[in-house]
Amino acid sequence: MGPGVREPTTTVTVNGARLVANLDARVTLLDALRDRFGLTGTKKGCDQGTCGSCTVLVDGRRVLSCLTLFAQCDGRQVTTIEGLADHPLRAAFIKHDAFQCGYCTPGQIVSAAALIREGRAGRDEDIREYMSGNLCRCGAYPRILAAIREVASGAHA
Amino acid sequence: MTRTLAPLVGAALDRVDGARKVAGAAPYPNDVRYPDLAYAALVRATISAGRVSGIETEGAEGAPGVLTVITHLTAPRLSRGPATSIGPQPTPPLQGDRVDYDGQYLAVVVAGTREQAVAAADLVEVRYEVDEPVLRTEDPRAEREENPWHFDTTRGDPAGALRTAEVRVDSTYTTPHLTNNPLGPFTTVARWDGDDLTVHDSTQHTANTRSALAGVFGIPEERVRVLAPFVGGGFGAGLRSWPHVTVAAMAARVVGRPVALELTRPEMFTGTGGRPSTVQRIRLGSTVDGRLVAIDHHAEYPAAMDDAVRYRVTPRGAGAYACPNFAARDVQVRLNVPPTGHMRAPGTAEGLFALECALDELAFRLDIDPVDLRLRNVAEVDPENGRPWTTTGLRECYRVGAERFGWYGRSPAPCSMRDGHRMVGYGMAGVTFGWTMMPCRAAATLHPDGTATIATSATDIGTGTYTILTQLAADLLDLPPDWVRVELGDTRLPKAPAAGGSGLTAAVTNAVQDACRNLLEIVRNGHPRGTDVRAEGASAPPEREDVAPSGAFAAVFAEVRVDPDLGELRVVRLVTAVDGGRIMNPKLAASQIIGGTVGGLGMALMERTTPDPGSGRIMNANLGDYLVPVHADVPDVDVLFVGGPDPLTPMGVKGVGEVGVVGVAPAVANAVHHATGRRLRALPLTVENLL
Ligand code: FES
Ligand code: FES
Repeated sequence: MGPGVREPTTTVTVNGARLVANLDARVTLLDALRDRFGLTGTKKGCDQGTCGSCTVLVDGRRVLSCLTLFAQCDGRQVTTIEGLADHPLRAAFIKHDAFQCGYCTPGQIVSAAALIREGRAGRDEDIREYMSGNLCRCGAYPRILAAIREVASGAHA
Repeated sequence: MTRTLAPLVGAALDRVDGARKVAGAAPYPNDVRYPDLAYAALVRATISAGRVSGIETEGAEGAPGVLTVITHLTAPRLSRGPATSIGPQPTPPLQGDRVDYDGQYLAVVVAGTREQAVAAADLVEVRYEVDEPVLRTEDPRAEREENPWHFDTTRGDPAGALRTAEVRVDSTYTTPHLTNNPLGPFTTVARWDGDDLTVHDSTQHTANTRSALAGVFGIPEERVRVLAPFVGGGFGAGLRSWPHVTVAAMAARVVGRPVALELTRPEMFTGTGGRPSTVQRIRLGSTVDGRLVAIDHHAEYPAAMDDAVRYRVTPRGAGAYACPNFAARDVQVRLNVPPTGHMRAPGTAEGLFALECALDELAFRLDIDPVDLRLRNVAEVDPENGRPWTTTGLRECYRVGAERFGWYGRSPAPCSMRDGHRMVGYGMAGVTFGWTMMPCRAAATLHPDGTATIATSATDIGTGTYTILTQLAADLLDLPPDWVRVELGDTRLPKAPAAGGSGLTAAVTNAVQDACRNLLEIVRNGHPRGTDVRAEGASAPPEREDVAPSGAFAAVFAEVRVDPDLGELRVVRLVTAVDGGRIMNPKLAASQIIGGTVGGLGMALMERTTPDPGSGRIMNANLGDYLVPVHADVPDVDVLFVGGPDPLTPMGVKGVGEVGVVGVAPAVANAVHHATGRRLRALPLTVENLL
């Protein structure tokens, strides 16, 4: 590594597992997850904070991991799609065919999980509004809405 | 395991790859990792025309982790791969000093990590001799090619019929340059093993990427393997083997390590094609009772200086209206713009926007209901050759769609419907989509444990190919669906055509049906126990002189609200009725139509790739400034399927990948006219045009 590039020691808990790494200070949380920790479920759609496909939870809040430096996450809890293995949204997305290519899907599910937990998924208008940071270029929106609505209302099971 | 013997074809089976997708476990090309993987970053031209007079790479070469910097001065000499049914291959990259568009690749930096590659790419310094770019089709310096792909047609005497027509419409429509923007940035991971090349690629056509790379590097096709089991969307962007694919393979060869080249979002705007802008003049002639007597459709669109794809804006057979006098002309104009390509319903979406809006103008002029006007002019035979369609559900689309929408509750006069303060408009459009089918091969294998594997090199870019082939094979082999495994996206598997042109489903289902038949034949004749039994099958487009193979038909109905003070336009309801032949899986097919409809909504309301008028550089090459529909923009979308299996092929499918896009923009524009009395002839339909 050349002069000027720092490699701070960062300790992060990802999906319950404690990870310690010394990475180039320029590495984003997204690239750390994907390139260094093999957690490729979190997707890069733009690397510019405009598509939502890289959404993860940091200390329970939705964060765009492409705009977050890995080193900033020292001491924090990160949850990715891999950490939501039992979430009912997964089954609801399949049932409602809430995706096509599937590339936006991890980000949609992570966002929706937070939305439901925050109690902001009660009305269709709210879901549409609060999910608008998660683009789906395949245009699965009406079906993503149906899947989220079903889980939020507790109608799944 | 219990055996489910109910027919699965036609059932709403859940997507078989769904569990992997919701887990984030479906491997897209940029998820591929090798232990010694190196990363590439591109240096792109910042002028639209001229030449590179100097390129300084020392700084980048000395930067941490950098393995190599390749420019046109150091790149190996490459050939152009073989042309395909969609036109020539793109110009091979890094072969000279000429710059033809802003964004053209001038160098690639390869380093041990992506951060190192990106940082070093910034250190490459390029000097230019700048020419005055040709950026507008009106520029007298622009080279114009009339009838570039030999699609122009004339029937009867359109000029004479227009002169004598009782009623005429003469309007000019424009559509903007659009960028496909699949959400998965296109990625190529290339790896050489001696003279054998393996690439993981965001492609809709593995066989094309293989033949393109084999041609570029002058190696036999058998030495190239292309893998694309999952692709993060394409919408046509993945139909060609773009220059970055070649750059990745070249870089991997130079550094002797596997190399990942992931396009950035801005690079997606200049490196993977798009829908060219168009200017179209339409002249219609009609009788007072709404019989079309003449259609004259003239379209102009740009193409890049050194790279053009086979393209057709004026719809085949004038959108299949029965009209004795007809002319269609395309003109392609060479500009200093990035290579154009294909975007969902390429050409047809632009051409039918103009035609379907012009018909609405005619209906208004004649005071005839727009649906009735179309019904009076339905082509019962293919107007291009006079042959009967194999099937047409177009009338049924109009009837069923209108009924579901409540079309006849519309009060015909513009500005006559309100919802409180806001103006309400109903609009509609009809769609006759082209038919495509290419030869396809597939294999079916029965394993000793009773399970089966279906294999073909086709890709599933989200269309549902994995799922419908599972359904089909389960039915034909009499197995439960979870006993069937489908392998796709690998050139080692039997060769399939592109996931494009709405033609893959017909090709691949017929090939799989043939493979399963052949397999059962072998099984019936007895075979050694305890071994795999494998059979191949094939399909080819039927050669028929007596009928016209019909593609999908559709009718789209839209309801809009316009705020008269703010000009704000909302689409509140969309109904699409589609004749897609046999529907293999109504849940997945409806997803295709919904997705197409959302794409059409983007085209109608917001999408536009904006070049700087002076420099040609795209000013909004990111997803913050290039607007696409988001959750809040998308209303309920109602999809209805009509019709049934088409007798042309054994499977009777027509393909539904593109038809959903086509009618949306004209239906919305026509609804805006109904709401406001304003006739907007330029897409997108934005607020400033409604004030
Ligand atoms: S990749 Fe982070 S918002 Fe798009
Ligand atoms: S499913 Fe393809 S982008 Fe959402």
